[in-house]
Amino acid sequence: MSYDTVVVGAGLAGLTAALRLTEQGQRVLVVARGVGATHLAPATVDVLGYAGDARVESPASDVAALVASSRDHPYGHVPAGDLTAALDWFRARTEALGYAGRLEENLLLPTALGVPKPSALAPRTMSGGDLRMGGRFVFVGFRGFKDFHPTLIADNIARARLPTPISARALELVLPAQRRVDMSGRLIAGQFDTENLSEWLINALRNRVDPDERIGVPAVLGLRRGDEIWQELETRLERKVFEVATLPPSIAGIRLFDALTNALRAGGARIVLGVRAVGARTTRARIDAVDVANATGTVSHPTGAVVLASGGFASGGIELDSFGAARETVFDLPLIGIPEADRVRFAPGYFDAQPLAGAGVGTDDLLRPVDSEGSPVFTNLHAAGAILGGAVPWKEKSGTGISVATGYAAARAVLAPAAPAVAESVP
Amino acid sequence: MATHNTSMSSLEADVLVIGGGSTGVGVARDAALRGFSTVLVERRDLADGTTGRFHGLLHSGGRYAVKDPSAARECIAENRILRVTAADCVEDTGGLFVSTPWDDPEYGDLFLEGCRATGVPAEEIPVAEALRREPRVNPDIRRAFLVPDAALDPWKLVWGCARSAEEHGARILPYHRVLDLEAEGDRVVGAHVRSERSGEEFEIRATVVINAAGAWAGQIAKLAKCTVNVRAGMGLMIAMNHRLVHMCVNRCKRPADGDILLPLRTACVIGTTDVFVPDPDETEIRQADIDLLLDEGEKLVPGFRQARALHAWAGVRPLFEDTAEVAETRDVTRSHALLDHSSREGIAGFLTITGGKTTTFRLMAEAAVDAACQQLGGPRECTTAEVPLAGSESHVLYQIGHRLAVREPVPQAEEVICECELITRARLEDTIKQRDTTSLDDIRRLLRLAMGPCQGGFCIYRATGILHAGGNLDGAAANRTLLDFLEERWKGIHPILHGDQLRQARLDDWIFQGILDVEHLPA
Repeated sequence: MSYDTVVVGAGLAGLTAALRLTEQGQRVLVVARGVGATHLAPATVDVLGYAGDARVESPASDVAALVASSRDHPYGHVPAGDLTAALDWFRARTEALGYAGRLEENLLLPTALGVPKPSALAPRTMSGGDLRMGGRFVFVGFRGFKDFHPTLIADNIARARLPTPISARALELVLPAQRRVDMSGRLIAGQFDTENLSEWLINALRNRVDPDERIGVPAVLGLRRGDEIWQELETRLERKVFEVATLPPSIAGIRLFDALTNALRAGGARIVLGVRAVGARTTRARIDAVDVANATGTVSHPTGAVVLASGGFASGGIELDSFGAARETVFDLPLIGIPEADRVRFAPGYFDAQPLAGAGVGTDDLLRPVDSEGSPVFTNLHAAGAILGGAVPWKEKSGTGISVATGYAAARAVLAPAAPAVAESVP
Repeated sequence: MATHNTSMSSLEADVLVIGGGSTGVGVARDAALRGFSTVLVERRDLADGTTGRFHGLLHSGGRYAVKDPSAARECIAENRILRVTAADCVEDTGGLFVSTPWDDPEYGDLFLEGCRATGVPAEEIPVAEALRREPRVNPDIRRAFLVPDAALDPWKLVWGCARSAEEHGARILPYHRVLDLEAEGDRVVGAHVRSERSGEEFEIRATVVINAAGAWAGQIAKLAKCTVNVRAGMGLMIAMNHRLVHMCVNRCKRPADGDILLPLRTACVIGTTDVFVPDPDETEIRQADIDLLLDEGEKLVPGFRQARALHAWAGVRPLFEDTAEVAETRDVTRSHALLDHSSREGIAGFLTITGGKTTTFRLMAEAAVDAACQQLGGPRECTTAEVPLAGSESHVLYQIGHRLAVREPVPQAEEVICECELITRARLEDTIKQRDTTSLDDIRRLLRLAMGPCQGGFCIYRATGILHAGGNLDGAAANRTLLDFLEERWKGIHPILHGDQLRQARLDDWIFQGILDVEHLPA
């Protein structure tokens, strides 16, 4: 069976590209070693949160400055206008999750340590935690759930640097009788889905929270019914309720993964997890087929184009060996941002600028990985997401934004390989 | 211990011990068991110097059998004692000496002869048998010898001694720095110390002051205008994520760099190097030394460079040299040195015990306290060769999988804070309470928190939240201990970061910086 496009990787970048291509009528195959960073990261779309030490208020204006000062940054290969188009498209395709926010102003959402973190978009279960307007907050934890510590959140958020000061307090609730003492977010979310924990939570909170307090809870309100349960809480408590991202696994991120993969399957795309893309059949500078290893052997999938969204070091898209040599693990593509073998790869301070941080593939403006001369290695191979070099997304708070923007732009490049990019309206 | 929060304008004791490594706590315990009132001060946490940074080998003596026979004899004697008295700190892994293609097989004859002469049990076994026991070891080895090496947990050992000393009335004061020694005439009569936590300064008066500061012993001696020539021999170690070997595997050759690979709980450790450093507090891990250890590891276990390296650290051996310059640190004897400064410099009430190695810490303590007895009214019998340490009363040797065996029948009975090392919330909270500490790094040494494959990726956030919620720390202090821990951890991670551990570290970056945003915590 042949495909119009094979997408390698099932994280946010791969799923974005795959869905965009599927809805444009392409026959798409997604292959991945497993689920991607959606299961780790909060479900927010973080376009740009920090430019150096400065907190970004408007990604719309600061992305341009970033691109001007850092020529390899992935946003530099996203055509002007595409960033807005990508976010609009993303919001339209995830309508059931009700993403709020816009490119012109970052929300400031509390982390599980109580740090205000900038995000451009957030699912509506989270966006009510926006700290910019001030007010009174109460953070609610569940005893026995170790991945969320409300007193520390409240303590830190009350001392955080914010445009309008806020007050915050913590509340710890004891979950109804449990079969297990050691509770994971996934278990609690499952109980919200199936065992009516929302009724318990509403009763537990009703008389303990003032009418003007906003209620922050760990992002475990249900996996399948998260949005519905959140709405029920807000309606019946008559308070603003918001979820706060926990340590992985990210329940809100899994909801996003489910929404995107359901849309993909409904559109006719094929998704195969648990396999590994290991190389390509090529004719000159074109990939004719992608070789995919599964448990029984290697299958060659003929394809018209390839989107490589296999992730950075964290996902195994790039590896570094003990001699300091780095390699891209699927097609052995050239990499940028790799210090010479005899140079320092890691600075001694944890928060120092790390020489290896921006490692990844370098691309042209069609997001095609390029060699040291700047020529595309394959004319029909495009890269998206964390495998792109030139960014330090965990510092910039730009990871999911880069994934959505470059996944969208890579799909556009696949669809119109020769034409220069022009902003298009969302259908 | 640090649980004594009352102000101490002055303390009095028969014996004041300076240094909280294995030697120091060994001395304190020995003195306390002999009925002397005893105080120990340590400038940082217990086992934070050399002891907590050694490779973890309880020597059989095989390593020294050829070139340092007296050290070999001491090792085998102490090895036998510690298996009984410190059983909970010892895993009976056994030891294997192998001749790789890079080693002269004839050295094996010298080795056997040396072991015979020093009483170290050694037995040559067929190569096939050695490879059956250790399938990852280089299949091209030419000879193999069994010896009773074992793995020793330094933190358990030191805390076991400290608790035992406390049970016999000693006061153990970590985070107390000696600012000066007090003298009256030609006699040392105590020390002026400062609590590094409260800032409080006070005097400790003692009939005998025992300097057990190891590689720092020269600095302490100088305060009494005495000279102790201890040089610091830096040794590098790398912890690998799996037990690539289940026995302590040594190269059968003259001791050199990177020739020991031993299991330590769920990990294994390769060591070591040996470089003089001018200041024991200034140890720098060089890439060349990392590569040397990885290459030597490859000779012992092919594929070593592809295995997952977790952490690298350097410790400093206290190398005592009384006379001439010594070119190579390995040529300095590994036996200990007991210095009575009354006979050396005419300073009474002051002893230094240094040199040696963790395996012989008990013997060193015995020698030091024997000497102290002479200044405390006559000999009293040493009982540390018979009395078990706190935690080892049942004489059951530590076994890998112990924590799992305890939890497995009731997996859901408790909340697990650190999945890598199976540390429960109750255990963490007990430790915080008992040791009255709020430093995540202290807790790491006590519980092995964050010492597994993820190097604290998950448990450190949890432990910080628990410390804070329990009222042990306010928000600012909780943030500081978290950030300090991340910085400290990075020091050991970045020198060996590659392969799967880089993948793990990047996940941890995403957790701490991407999800939690520790970088922008309020001060």
